[in-house]
Amino acid sequence: MSILEIKNIKANIGEKNILKGLNLSLEKGKVHAIMGPNGAGKSTLSKTIVGHYDVDVTGGDILLRGESILEMEPEERALEGIFLSFQHPVEIPGVSNAYFLRTAVNAKRVHEGKEELNAAEFLREMKKTAETLGMKPEMISRSLNEGFSGGEKKRNEILQMQMLHPDVILLDEIDSGLDIDALRAVSEGINAMKDGERTFLVITHYSRILDYIEPDYIHVLKDGQIVHTGGPELVAQLEEKGYESIGAAG
Amino acid sequence: MTIPEKIAQYREDFDLFETPNEKLEYVFDLGKKHTTLPEEDKNDATFISGCASAAWLDGQCQDGILHLRGEGTSEMAKGMLTLLLDIFNDRPAQEILDFDPAGLSRLGIVELLSPVRQQSMEAFLEKVYGYARKCAK
Repeated sequence: MSILEIKNIKANIGEKNILKGLNLSLEKGKVHAIMGPNGAGKSTLSKTIVGHYDVDVTGGDILLRGESILEMEPEERALEGIFLSFQHPVEIPGVSNAYFLRTAVNAKRVHEGKEELNAAEFLREMKKTAETLGMKPEMISRSLNEGFSGGEKKRNEILQMQMLHPDVILLDEIDSGLDIDALRAVSEGINAMKDGERTFLVITHYSRILDYIEPDYIHVLKDGQIVHTGGPELVAQLEEKGYESIGAAG
Repeated sequence: MTIPEKIAQYREDFDLFETPNEKLEYVFDLGKKHTTLPEEDKNDATFISGCASAAWLDGQCQDGILHLRGEGTSEMAKGMLTLLLDIFNDRPAQEILDFDPAGLSRLGIVELLSPVRQQSMEAFLEKVYGYARKCAK
């Protein structure tokens, strides 16, 4: 069953047409990976799904559980269960990590008709989750991402993901800038979320992350379109023979 | 749960926060569950004199159990009332009288309150213990 369907989507960034009639169906509970050469439109795809203000959609549709989300604001899409882990998470000085995340978690809980967590209930949960990700306790009260290393920022993205319990998880180059220990911790955090219900879209330039997060489907994106879809065996083929082997060289 | 156990539970919550500001923010947070009193119950008899902001506390005794309801007007009063009512409400009056209110210091926040707020808390406790004494008779 498809949870997210992208139908013939066309999108520009500025004057430039990046997505050129892209079709993609994400199956509920599965891990989909998007691979593709530089400039193929991978990051634009994730931005389009979450409704980033950089992107101007000029055609097509995106359906979440059968309903179009194109008219929704980014925060409405997030409340509906879409989560994007940024390639370059932003720093927000003066806003504590805990305060930021509690506001987001409680907004989602209210949207779902649940009671808000009070500060202690939330903090207890956040500390427990941060510990499983190997995060230092002081990162909880520090300003959001301010002065965090690349690895700390990515762990923090996974912390947000785990606390928000999203249904569709977009991971944009989650492995960029990670050393092997951080990559392992981040991957374990992602794998812990795999429950057969949540759907993942792993956008990556390199196959390294896919050694840790086993995908069910590989989609190759080139020049704004999905040009090839295959199983996990495609990763080894692309690694060995490059995009040229499937006629998708950059 | 006894009064000291309830206090210990809150202490665990307050210990989660590193700074005094965060602990006090948690008091404000508790105030989100603050209930109000019907207008007719806000009168001279229920008014807590000595509180920094207007606050009322109603106490009803039923078979030796003291049922408390209160309302505060400032954010701090709402939070503290919610916290203290959770500790003292629906208990046998004698249990309240047997508890030394100095034990509230184990919450770890009383010393963070300004002298005016501490005085407000004392005024609240005086009212609670007044109701408890009447109820225990």
